[in-house]
Amino acid sequence: MSFYLLIKGLLSRKVVTALLLLQLAMTLALLLNSILLAQQTHQQLNQPTGLDLNNIVLVQLKPTTASLRVYPALEELLNRQLAAVSALPGVVAAAYSNQSAILQGGNNGNVYLDGEEGRSNQPSVPMYFVSKDFFHVFDSKLLQGELPQQSVSLDNPVQPDVVITQSLARQLFADKPAIGQQLNRGRLAAVISDFYGQRSGTNVMFNSIQVAPPFGVDWGYSILLRTAPGRADAVRQQLVQTLRAVEPNIEIFHIRTLAEQHQRLYRNEYGLAMLLAILSALMLLVTMVSSYSSTYFHALKRQQEIGIKRALGASKNTIFIELLSENWLCTAVGALLGVMLALLLNQALAQVISIPALSGYLPLITIAVLLLCVTVATWYPAAIATRVSPATATKAL
Amino acid sequence: MEQFIYYLKVSLKGIKRAPLPYALTIFILSVGLGVFFANATFYYQLNSDPLPHKSDKLFFPMINLVPYQCTTDCRTPRVLSYSNVQKLSQSGIPTQAAAMYSADGYLRVNADQPPLPVSIRLTQRDFFTMFEVPLLHGSIWPDNSARLEVILTRASAEKLFGRTEVIGETLLLDDRNVTVSAVLDSWQMLPRLYDANNRNHLTDADDIYLPLETGYDMNYLSNSQSSTFDDTDYRQLSTQGRTGALHQLQYWVQLDTPAQQQAYRQFMHNLVMDEKAAGRHPSEPNNQLVAMQDIVSYFGGDSSDIKAFALVTLLFLLVCLFNASHLSLNRYLSNQYEFSLRRALGASRSQLQLQMLVDVLLMASFTIAGALLTGYAGIKLMNQLLPANRLFSDWDLPLLLGLLAIAVVCSYLVTLYPSLRASFGTLNQQLKE
Repeated sequence: MSFYLLIKGLLSRKVVTALLLLQLAMTLALLLNSILLAQQTHQQLNQPTGLDLNNIVLVQLKPTTASLRVYPALEELLNRQLAAVSALPGVVAAAYSNQSAILQGGNNGNVYLDGEEGRSNQPSVPMYFVSKDFFHVFDSKLLQGELPQQSVSLDNPVQPDVVITQSLARQLFADKPAIGQQLNRGRLAAVISDFYGQRSGTNVMFNSIQVAPPFGVDWGYSILLRTAPGRADAVRQQLVQTLRAVEPNIEIFHIRTLAEQHQRLYRNEYGLAMLLAILSALMLLVTMVSSYSSTYFHALKRQQEIGIKRALGASKNTIFIELLSENWLCTAVGALLGVMLALLLNQALAQVISIPALSGYLPLITIAVLLLCVTVATWYPAAIATRVSPATATKAL
Repeated sequence: MEQFIYYLKVSLKGIKRAPLPYALTIFILSVGLGVFFANATFYYQLNSDPLPHKSDKLFFPMINLVPYQCTTDCRTPRVLSYSNVQKLSQSGIPTQAAAMYSADGYLRVNADQPPLPVSIRLTQRDFFTMFEVPLLHGSIWPDNSARLEVILTRASAEKLFGRTEVIGETLLLDDRNVTVSAVLDSWQMLPRLYDANNRNHLTDADDIYLPLETGYDMNYLSNSQSSTFDDTDYRQLSTQGRTGALHQLQYWVQLDTPAQQQAYRQFMHNLVMDEKAAGRHPSEPNNQLVAMQDIVSYFGGDSSDIKAFALVTLLFLLVCLFNASHLSLNRYLSNQYEFSLRRALGASRSQLQLQMLVDVLLMASFTIAGALLTGYAGIKLMNQLLPANRLFSDWDLPLLLGLLAIAVVCSYLVTLYPSLRASFGTLNQQLKE
């Protein structure tokens, strides 16, 4: 079997070979970019959040009557609800908050050192107004200072103390002492470990927390529960009934674990990665059909040639390998074109979505997958071609 | 007709002789076109213009009237304060104008009924004519002043009362009595371009409509975006919200002529310069007057997932076309002897081309059926995986006709080269093979 003859064989069917090469190149390009996107989504879904996602349950709710949305009735309602859900078996800690963690956007604003707005301002930092057990629910580690123990109204002339996350503290103070410093939102009382706040913020780990009843609940509020390991499902099943027993005039928007909340946050990326994966599978299928039909038809047209080769002493194995080699050569050339096309497609996709650049070992793995699919697809027609009897050669004479 | 039936019979015979390559060709074309159809549906609907005759006359003005010196982010706020809107309303230049925002509330027929969660659009009377909202019963508010009167959509009226003739009925909206002054006919503006901020243009229309002034009186905060640039207490919307820098309003003006548009731009410029001179805002002017047809891209709300998938499905369709051509070529080359024999017996090339056209017609029919099925399944799948776009998954007649035309063209392209090759080869050579 000669490389020259293989090339010659492919060139004798220029149009068919060109069509096959184009398909192989496009399939590889799409496959590579789909894998990149799937990898990125996987990384996003597995990035550290600083939270025990599976054992924190979030209830998002709102009073349906206007009278329950104003103080003091609202504070009384919040405390009754907290007492009821805290008593549920399996609940380790419970807290209310004006909003949940792991959101796209929400209640946020500027944080800066008092009198140094121009130098230190951090925009779009989530603002949490919570009950004191919020830190226990999130299992936050106290890194500096002391956590506030008393809830102070936001209408108080002295603003409630502020707790910030480690990343925000590092950004605002670098290595200088932070506790006791005056921020635009109040005196800094403590620094806690990072947790995922809002995706639209400048840094997802920047958060500012104050132990205070929410300013208002026009957008609803959250009740956050830390459950014993493996008890989240059991707890959530009792929540609707428990909360409605406390106060029937409420709308419960949703009850979910923070793991579910995290998945919903990246739902679009997950959806697009899934669609591209399905499309890549279809593309591989189409390429396999193409390789199959090409080999089948080619072998059919070359029956006499194969017969002559067999009559001249070529073994079945040689014929089999020759037909497979043609496809392997075609796949290799198509794959080279495909890598170039993948780079172009990657650049085009980067104009509209966030996608990492193509690099590393990924093209090699993808080429191997493509080669495997083509081999599987051409195996059967190549095996049939080996059954051509040497007597077929006499028909050519 | 007789000749057509003859060609059809020959085509069917050809299919029966080699059913597998034909079925594979149809399968591949159907899958390629089906996937393309599914994505094209979303792309077409998301980029459609709901008011093509006036989308270049409706404008969204934004001004940088905020009480702070911007340092890093000097973009004009996407929403306006109440006082900004009042200043922008003083020109008298627009043919029509309406400020608006949306909020959430609870509606009941009486105190004993369970509350119905509703999305409220708080707006002014010109909203309904500007965006051509159809009226079923009653009349729109006579002016923009506060009044405890709601306008219901047809669906809300039917849900609450089980009927649509409910003018004069009273309802409890967040514990306040309001009267129904009008009921709208079925209406869905898609995409909802008057509310493009935060990608709200992808969502359903609101359930009820309340005068903007009443919304402020009832302390309804925006459920989409509200930003405070000073010490305004947003719980005091009816008082501080009207004077402070609490931004939550969208404002639309209708400027029918280029002269009106130019005059309004000048008015905005003068207004901002006067305010700056009076020391009421320190930032540099950065006025924007964005036409409705450009508002989604201005707010960066284009559906990038659909765009990315469009690029990829187009590539997939190309692969399927190449593949189907490849299969078709193999099929025609297998039948070449028969073609050549017919040519030798006197069939002209044009007759063979007519035969090819009947082949195309037959292939297009099978392909369209397969593509529509695949497209339907693709749309269902996309609705599951990208639910934010679910309102944009319907087929309408122009879209369907366009898609059918594409299917016929693809079937023709797939058959064109193979049939030409079979019809134009050297006769002697072909008969010997």
